[in-house]
Amino acid sequence: MTPPTPPTPPAPTPAAEADKRASFEREALIHLDSLYRVALRLTGNPAEADDLVQETMLKAYRAWHQFERGTNAKGWLLTILRHAFINEYRRRTRHPETVDIDAIEPFSVFEEVQDDDPQGTFFDRIVDDEVLRAIDTLPEQFRETVVLSDVEGMSYEEIARVLEVPVGTVKSRLFRARRLLQKKLYEYAVGMGYIKGNAT
Amino acid sequence: MNCRECKERLYEYLDRELTPAVMEEIRQHVAECPPCGESFDFEKVFLTFVRARCRAQGASPELRRRILDELLDE
Repeated sequence: MTPPTPPTPPAPTPAAEADKRASFEREALIHLDSLYRVALRLTGNPAEADDLVQETMLKAYRAWHQFERGTNAKGWLLTILRHAFINEYRRRTRHPETVDIDAIEPFSVFEEVQDDDPQGTFFDRIVDDEVLRAIDTLPEQFRETVVLSDVEGMSYEEIARVLEVPVGTVKSRLFRARRLLQKKLYEYAVGMGYIKGNAT
Repeated sequence: MNCRECKERLYEYLDRELTPAVMEEIRQHVAECPPCGESFDFEKVFLTFVRARCRAQGASPELRRRILDELLDE
């Protein structure tokens, strides 16, 4: 007697497929711009960012049944994106860091400018591209934290979940990342003559 | 709360990541301490500036179409 063959799972009906697609478009695709912005800062290249986002969306769609409805879809998608980046893209695009971010001393731009420009008006003269360029030169762990916080407006808790680190790590990285970004922009502004630099 | 303690929590304060009681303690200190007030204002200007400069970019219509086409094939 042949053993009974296990039942094959029923193929999704066209109606179920249409429902899945509709809910995916409603809850996941609305975060496309966010995913793209993060991907662009991670890869540093628009074509790679497109591919990374496309791959993320495909993976997310295939795993859509595992997403817990009503929870944070943006965080879930960004986690998938970041894993895809680490596993596949980082090797090809940017090399993993050899920088020891703990050795980077926080620098206070305010202390440099408090006599000449305590209100930071020199920032107004720095254009978008220059800010993005400066973000791109941050060490990767700083860059991803700044992007999730200041570009995407996520809370420390949400960032900690996406980066899979404790909230305390997010706080300390964000503090040092912002100070380093500030220093880079300040040095750029001094170089451009937007503000008088202190001879150091 | 003293100046050093406030400065350590500067970004947490500006990001509204502290409890209401701590937020209030810092708010009071910053209101009464001109050096801290200036440095907090400076950091606030910096964060507003970074956020404003990074917001414009989004995915291209082409990428959106590519993804929608791909989902249809699934």
